[in-house]
Amino acid sequence: SAAAMAKFILLFLKLLAILYTVQAVFEDQVGKFDWKQQYVGSVRFAHFDNQIQSSKKVLVATEKNVFAAINTRTGELFWRHVDKTGPEGNIDALLLQGQDAVMVVGDGRILRSWEVNVGGLNWEMVLDSGSFQSASLVGHQEHVKYVAVLKKAAISLHYLSNGHQKWIENLPESDSVDYQSVYSEGKGEVFVLGLVPHSHITVVVYSIDDGEILKQFTVEAPWMPDLQSSCSVIGKGMLTCVDAGSLSLNMLDLHAHSEMNQIPLQSIGLEVSSGFRPVLVSSQPNAARPPLSEFFLQIGPDQHVLLQLNKGQILTLRDFKPAMLVSFATTGEKTVAAVMSPKNKTVNPPFLCINLFSAETGRRLLDTTLIFTMDPNGGKPEKLYVQAFLKKDDSVGYRVIVQTEDHQLTFIQQPGRVLWTREEALSDVVTMEMVDLPLTATQAELEGEFGKKADGLMSMVLKRLSSQLILLQAWLSHLWKLFYDARQPRSQVKNEVTIENLSRDEFNLQKMMVMVTASGKLFGIDSKTGTIVWKHYLDNVPSNAAFKLMVQRTTAHFPHPPQCTLLIKDKDTGLATLHVFNPIYGKKSHVTPPLLPQPILQSMLLPLMDQDYAKVLLLVDDQYKVSAFPSTKNVLQQLQDVASSVFFFLIDANQGRLSGYRLRTDLSTELIWEVVIPAEVQKIVTVNGKKANEHVHSQGRVMGDRSVLYKYLNPNLLALVTESTDQHQERSFVGIILIDGVTGRIIHEAVQRKARGPVHIVHSENWVVYEYWSTKSRRVEFSVIELYEGMELYNSTVFSSLDRPHAPQVLQQSYIFPSAISAMDATLTEKGITSRHLLIGLPSGGILSLPKMFLDPRRPEIVSEQSREENLIPYAPELPIRTEWFINYNQSVLRVRGIHTAPSGLESTCLVVAYGLDIYQTRVYPSKQFDVLKDDYDYMLISSVLLALFFATMISKRLAEVKLLNRAWR
Amino acid sequence: MASPGGQGGALTTRERGGGAAKRMKWALELSLGNTRSRSDRQGGQGDVVYPIGYSDKPVPDTSIQETDKNLVEKRCWDVALGPLKQIPMNLFIMYMSGNTISIFPIMMVCMMAWRPIQALMSMSATFKLLESSSQQWLQGLVYLIGNLLASALAIYKCQSMGLLPTHSSDWLAFIDPPQRMEIMGGGMVL
Repeated sequence: SAAAMAKFILLFLKLLAILYTVQAVFEDQVGKFDWKQQYVGSVRFAHFDNQIQSSKKVLVATEKNVFAAINTRTGELFWRHVDKTGPEGNIDALLLQGQDAVMVVGDGRILRSWEVNVGGLNWEMVLDSGSFQSASLVGHQEHVKYVAVLKKAAISLHYLSNGHQKWIENLPESDSVDYQSVYSEGKGEVFVLGLVPHSHITVVVYSIDDGEILKQFTVEAPWMPDLQSSCSVIGKGMLTCVDAGSLSLNMLDLHAHSEMNQIPLQSIGLEVSSGFRPVLVSSQPNAARPPLSEFFLQIGPDQHVLLQLNKGQILTLRDFKPAMLVSFATTGEKTVAAVMSPKNKTVNPPFLCINLFSAETGRRLLDTTLIFTMDPNGGKPEKLYVQAFLKKDDSVGYRVIVQTEDHQLTFIQQPGRVLWTREEALSDVVTMEMVDLPLTATQAELEGEFGKKADGLMSMVLKRLSSQLILLQAWLSHLWKLFYDARQPRSQVKNEVTIENLSRDEFNLQKMMVMVTASGKLFGIDSKTGTIVWKHYLDNVPSNAAFKLMVQRTTAHFPHPPQCTLLIKDKDTGLATLHVFNPIYGKKSHVTPPLLPQPILQSMLLPLMDQDYAKVLLLVDDQYKVSAFPSTKNVLQQLQDVASSVFFFLIDANQGRLSGYRLRTDLSTELIWEVVIPAEVQKIVTVNGKKANEHVHSQGRVMGDRSVLYKYLNPNLLALVTESTDQHQERSFVGIILIDGVTGRIIHEAVQRKARGPVHIVHSENWVVYEYWSTKSRRVEFSVIELYEGMELYNSTVFSSLDRPHAPQVLQQSYIFPSAISAMDATLTEKGITSRHLLIGLPSGGILSLPKMFLDPRRPEIVSEQSREENLIPYAPELPIRTEWFINYNQSVLRVRGIHTAPSGLESTCLVVAYGLDIYQTRVYPSKQFDVLKDDYDYMLISSVLLALFFATMISKRLAEVKLLNRAWR
Repeated sequence: MASPGGQGGALTTRERGGGAAKRMKWALELSLGNTRSRSDRQGGQGDVVYPIGYSDKPVPDTSIQETDKNLVEKRCWDVALGPLKQIPMNLFIMYMSGNTISIFPIMMVCMMAWRPIQALMSMSATFKLLESSSQQWLQGLVYLIGNLLASALAIYKCQSMGLLPTHSSDWLAFIDPPQRMEIMGGGMVL
């Protein structure tokens, strides 16, 4: 019988497993099937480490609360420190002084000092409360001893050596005056600059030694809205502000408390482009040095003027037009200004060129031009960081990092060689899909042959012969390549991945990962190596957009190209756009997506296909009207035919309303059910349907007495998670509602009292696993719900939600999990035969592969003969974490936000991508590799044994014959 | 029933298969050198040459006697009752091997099931063997019943080991996933 046979096979497999137990990867398999990429996020502060000439470090602090050192030779990370997410870990300021990097973190909560060579922490100080305004080093060049931290109502001075507080003083009239900036030349005085908007500037001068107020005065400035954005200290204590209203520069000498000296821009011969508000752009890049006397004033969208303050006079050194970005850099005693300008606008992609100018004179330095091309699929340059250094002949050389809108960092060397690029947009992946790679040209040729209509026997034979010949040729060249590569040393064999050599492998293990990032940049990454094959920046994506990525056509329909559609919705206006592209090459499709004048509520991919094999996408607008894409006649005809069986649901989380609609033949809709969950009591957090590409092989579970408990496999089932609005730990709860998306019938409802989110949920097959925080026991708990039809199937051939009179049996069990979790998903395989595992991303950086067997509501408390027969593990409240279950061994993946699983061509193998701050790709084998020979399978031994046996048989046969003959003669 | 002439004859046609046969299809041996048995040659010690067809042994009496008939009957009953006699032995083996599924019980069951099937397949050969008996039909029936009982026993063993597809769980793998009648989609308002 099948069951007993299965047992027999299992026994055999167990025997095998005992012989070859592989619990984790072997040492030589590290990096063979997996790769990791580390990111830091969009850069906020960047400083080159100029301590020594040969230094190859750039220190960056990012929007993702990461502080890291990047190797300027390779673009890889030397070290990285990841702080808490959100405002708690926000990096407010980064000041570099020699070997130390001083950082203010969490809105002035913590002051930290790092040693930049190895990234070790020197010291850390918790500061008094108060919102952070500004920080500055106090001292002069090499003799910086203190760091001043300005907060809303107080200023404090700390020793740079150990962080101890030298003194703290309250700021006078801090409720009316908005203190915004602090400045010191390191010679006894600290200037604190405050502003009462549209009234006056307040200057308070403190003594460095004891914090005594030495001076305090106010200056009228009725036009000034903000100090930090419009003012800067230039030269020796000259506060320079730009007034965008009257188009003038306003100077104030902080040492001699006089009135502001107004210099109209026209009087120094500057013409501001109409409608442009001039901006003071750049000053001293090195925090430990005194401010420069030179500064840039941006007076047009692409016009900058280099100005110099000389004995109270403003001189125009040079007018740069066009100039996109400007930056100062110092090396030794020399200060230079780098200016980036477009070289040739007519060429696409445009060339950009950077030149160095002497800051003192404005003269262009010879041999400092750097020309590079902009990535046509990237964004515009946003920031320029310059590393200047002295060459042997005392001239100035430099390298630059260009930061673009799409969070890309490009490191460029003279005369324009791009050393590396970092795609920091990938630290913020929103959604992704894995798409099969196309067949090779020859395979496609063969495939195409079967697709064509038969035109005569002879021509078919000829065609077949020719395509077989091509295949043979390809195979021979492949063999030759193998042979050729084998002779070369391993390091020389380059496995460059390009679009040309991308093709599906034998077991479909290599796929294209299409990743959508929050910045609006799309990536195509080869899943085998992690190489970015293509990238495409969508420059019109709003900052708070919602994305939905759908695969409309896979690679299976040669010669039609695969097609992905990205729905981008602006959450403010509700308007949406569609970006249709080829997921393998990243190119925008020639198919024009429909214009969507109405706000879009949801979209849905139907299993229907048009004549070009593209799945039909339905878009629901705010009038509950439906539009189809593609919307050819054929599609509309098909839609009319199936309209009565097309249902969709919408969930309005704010109102707690769930509504179900049915499609009418004229593409309007009718409301068929509505469920309201009172939003005052509980809020809908997530809704989780089943994955469309999920296959369930077994329709039931075999009991100990060999009867069958059939699974309730409702494809329309939705798992809804709610959280109570009351956050009190005694009254908070988490609710799980299982609802049929077609009929709106509530199948099951469970409430977890004294529990709180965030809830992570996986819904698959006939089970739902969710995780929550139990406020009562203060621990993380898992709960599993399984649904069964019972011992008999109601209807084994078709499933219709409209005809299900019996409610399913519901089983539930809960467990304690010893760690918090950050993301969760389940493995997925081609046919669903392989057992399932849950993949759990932990905050510690591990990704745990937990067998679903442990989360089974049928786990018995008392072991019986039958439960043993079923291989049920006796119930234990704690779920174990075994170290060999970490699929990423020591490759920590930080801040995992999502785990994506995709089936491969092998039933045993599931592809896993974990994304968050890092991206990690690997393969998992939940039931071990039962369909693949081991990597180190000894072909030599087996074949030599076979050959030896063959010859032994031949020889012994001959011998036996001779012997028989001899006996016959006797 | 031995043929009188063939025994000690000097003329032997060798028609055995194999390599030897390929080389000589037949050989006429005129000298007295019969290869068959040494006993044949004993009588012919010395250099006496017998004519072709001569045998120095007396020709046995071939007439069937009453005692032989009884013997044949007995022998035939032995053959017919063979399968039945094995049943207690099989029962013992069944009891000893237990119901666990491992390599030895499986081998036993295979043997137990295969032997009666093999015997039933070669039924006609057995019938030929029983031809000489007067109770041929009865013996055949007993033989058949014995084998059927043995195979029933094997089936029972299979059943108790759980090797027969008699439960619904055995057909579970063949149930196809039900077809979906409705198309559903949607989600949170984006």
